[in-house]
Amino acid sequence: MRPAAAAAPPVHTSSSNCNALARASPLPYWGAAAVGGEEQRWRRLAMDSARATLLDSSSSSSSAAKEMAARHLGRTAHNLSSSSLRKKSDLALLRKVPCAPLRRILDNLQQVLLATRLVLLFPAVLLALAARIFQFGQASSPSILFSLSFQFHTYCCCLRMNSTNQALDFGIFLLPPMFLISINQRPQNMMEWVFVLSLIGLVPLAERLSFLTEQIAFYTGPTVGGLLNATFGNVTEVIIAIFALYEGNIVVVKCSLLGSILSNLLLVLGTSLFFGGLANLGTEQPYDRMQVDVSTGLLILGVLCHSLPLMLRYAVSSGEHAVASWDAGLELSRACSVVMLLAYVAYLFFQLKTHRQLFEAQEVEEDDDDDSVSQDDAVLGFSSAMIWLGVMTLMTAVLSEFVVSTIEAASNSWELSVSFISIILIPIVGNAAEHAGAVIFAFKNKLDITLGVSLGSATQISMFVVPLSVLVAWIMGVPMDLDFNLLETGSLFLAILATTFTLQDGSSHYLKGLLLLLCYVAIAVCFFVLRRHGNGTNGNVHHQGVASKPWRI
Amino acid sequence: MMRKYASEAGGLRAARLGPHGRSATARTAHNMSAAALRKRSDASLVNKVPVAPLRPILANLQEVFLGTKLAVLFPAVPLAIAAQCASFGQVWVFTLSMIGLIPLAERVSFLTEQIAIYTGPTVGGLLNATCGNATELIIALFALIQGEIEVVKCSLLGSVLSNLLLVLGTSLFCGGIVNMDAKQPYDRTQADVSTGLLILGALCQSLPLMLRYAVGAGEHTVAAPTTGLDLSRACSIIMLLAYVAYLFFQLKTHAQLFEPQEVDDDGADHEDDELPVIGFASGLFWLAFKTVLIAILSEYVVGTIEPASQSWGLSVSFISIILLPIVGNAAEHAGAIIFALKNKLDITLGVALGSATQISMFVVPLSVIVAWIAGIQMDLDFKLLETGSLFVSVLVTAFTLQDGSSHYLKGILLLLCYIVIGACFFVTRQPASHANSNGAELSLVTGTLGAQVA
Repeated sequence: MRPAAAAAPPVHTSSSNCNALARASPLPYWGAAAVGGEEQRWRRLAMDSARATLLDSSSSSSSAAKEMAARHLGRTAHNLSSSSLRKKSDLALLRKVPCAPLRRILDNLQQVLLATRLVLLFPAVLLALAARIFQFGQASSPSILFSLSFQFHTYCCCLRMNSTNQALDFGIFLLPPMFLISINQRPQNMMEWVFVLSLIGLVPLAERLSFLTEQIAFYTGPTVGGLLNATFGNVTEVIIAIFALYEGNIVVVKCSLLGSILSNLLLVLGTSLFFGGLANLGTEQPYDRMQVDVSTGLLILGVLCHSLPLMLRYAVSSGEHAVASWDAGLELSRACSVVMLLAYVAYLFFQLKTHRQLFEAQEVEEDDDDDSVSQDDAVLGFSSAMIWLGVMTLMTAVLSEFVVSTIEAASNSWELSVSFISIILIPIVGNAAEHAGAVIFAFKNKLDITLGVSLGSATQISMFVVPLSVLVAWIMGVPMDLDFNLLETGSLFLAILATTFTLQDGSSHYLKGLLLLLCYVAIAVCFFVLRRHGNGTNGNVHHQGVASKPWRI
Repeated sequence: MMRKYASEAGGLRAARLGPHGRSATARTAHNMSAAALRKRSDASLVNKVPVAPLRPILANLQEVFLGTKLAVLFPAVPLAIAAQCASFGQVWVFTLSMIGLIPLAERVSFLTEQIAIYTGPTVGGLLNATCGNATELIIALFALIQGEIEVVKCSLLGSVLSNLLLVLGTSLFCGGIVNMDAKQPYDRTQADVSTGLLILGALCQSLPLMLRYAVGAGEHTVAAPTTGLDLSRACSIIMLLAYVAYLFFQLKTHAQLFEPQEVDDDGADHEDDELPVIGFASGLFWLAFKTVLIAILSEYVVGTIEPASQSWGLSVSFISIILLPIVGNAAEHAGAIIFALKNKLDITLGVALGSATQISMFVVPLSVIVAWIAGIQMDLDFKLLETGSLFVSVLVTAFTLQDGSSHYLKGILLLLCYIVIGACFFVTRQPASHANSNGAELSLVTGTLGAQVA
């Protein structure tokens, strides 16, 4: 347990709580892990509120203490942005439950499942499971459906206790009947429903995973916490990529990862800078160039590593060079992947060890009337956080498997190409939580956090997830390479160029955001017009001239 | 006539404002650079004319026709018309039309500025933003009407290249040589905004090209051969949206970034330019008249470009990319160099980058949309060599201008880039039908999307 002096003052000071708990005595050092985080929090509430009445210079010391605590805990921009979507969990509700251990469990559940504004999307997870089951076992489904609907209604009642918005309640109650009616119409609609619901269900899961990672980071210290965030920050994309590789669907892997980078660089950044610029029209909007330059440097290395296999293929096809075997591009891609991972490790070392001070997140002023929680202490125990992390990862894996297996059917029935869905639709959904956070921080003119979120995510996917997929594919025996085809690599290159030039001068205005956004729209339109397939497939070699792939995808 | 009183009452200058109460009468960098070529018209000459009603008319004519140092080139206009009517020789018609376009372009800019004094700064800025490159716009529209899509694409591309590399290069070079000891700063924000728009434009032009190559290589398939055309039209709308946002940014919300620097030489010239020298109605009349003249000469140019290219042994693309824009931009070019010599680089950059942005983000997509309305199939696919040159020149310019101060070596580098690109198009001077026959080793895709429809 950290020294009491470093603890921040409570975010939600309800004096009634303090009175009830004032008689609690502080636990010894080893007691913290034994009791669990929530009790610890209640005790600290009491101590802090008592201290606050004694100290009159609490504001300055608390902000300094908060800063120290934040630095000590390795609060990255990523965590801060997700924290803007959290909301206070209401302790008053729980105190009505008489039984103490049940209270702890319920508080745990409440912290994990309900303490976010995205909680409304959680039912999509259940519905996706229901849809999948209905699709497979059409005979025995009614009972399962009824039980699921019953659970769903119970869930909605729990929600209702936390929610104050009457219209929202009404909407929630409408969902299951609508769902039940629609699935009775056509069985082949099920695949689309599974796809849509799985995608929607991934949104809150991604946010909760980020929350859980942050909670674990409290216990493990800043360095391991930073590493955890660096690897798990985009776990949704990693899991989708691994499942798609497992099914041999390399196009989906490449397109979804590429789309994730494009969405982070152009869409998230563009909308944030645009709305931030409009909201802060009269004021200067500076940001720190160092962090931006490091990220864009890595991205440029990434796009170089992507371009080399592509250029090799075109050079070989036009006869400029000859290769010894058909696998030359694959070997080049694997070597480049190792290089990219080395660069990423160096970047982590730079960011977490030697040049930490460049990456400190800006101070976020608390709006007391705003519900957002910036938690400087853990609200879950370490073991419970690990368990929940495992559960959430499992659920993410299940939904990702649904997405990957139903993407073909969805693309056929919606008449969009698989590449359009993978490049544009999946990343928009997968990044929704980060997107919202980045826009919120741009509104508050905290552009360093916005840039940290979007550029950091893009760098992580480009320099970690992509080469990791290539290496995992190598282990699995799947021939995935870094050659993402001309149109995709060209769009990536131009997107990185546009972002680099836009961000290189250190201050922002709304036109920059609008230009990045329009670049994204242009690239989306380009992939949209490829929606109707001709009769040929991607591997068709009967064309003149360039680069019919000499080796199989 | 108003000028006579203006020059006498010098002390009242501070109190004199434009018709709308703003002293900054939408003087963009564009106008100020063209102003460098003006010369004072001599009121004493007109006063010798005894007939009183004739005096205002002659003063008007003097302002409109002779108020520029380029007035010596005006005789080319009637000569060109005469040559066309008398069927002199296509090459003569072409040459004379090109020479005649130079003073006409400058006068149109002068008239636009005069009208802007009456209409206020915002409308004046808008007028300048649309009519600032009236010559290129009219040439492009005429070429479209005659179905010469290659001439349209090449002339617009050449205009962008000429503004980015030639005008900017010579200005920075001359300015750097003359101001060798002085620091040469300029405002980065304006340059960054223009460069950002140019990069968006290069992206929108690259996508149809990459689409064609990707389909040709078998990486993707499309359902119809007009897919690239649909993409081009959608990208044109995006480019126009970006341009509108840029105008809004430049004229409304961040106008303070685009104020031209004070020009503190020849005080008399400066104060006189703030007042209109011709009436509003006469300004409109002359603008229409000059535009008609430009239209006539443009039609001659477009109509005689093929015979001229054959008789000179140069390809149509070389003439359209290199020769036409040099002629069309000559007035702006001279103005930009003059301001660079005076170490007013913000104005130079405003002229060069502003013109390039306007052509790339307004005239090009406007041509595509006009072609769409007219049923002509023009797309944004400017072919590999042209798009590649455009992309590299935007990149080079962006890198050169990104640090906020200039020296002569920057100008030399840009100029040499332009010469290299010019050489590249010069060596393609064989007409297209000859090039393909000895291109056996260049077995790259030349086809359209039509080859892919199964």
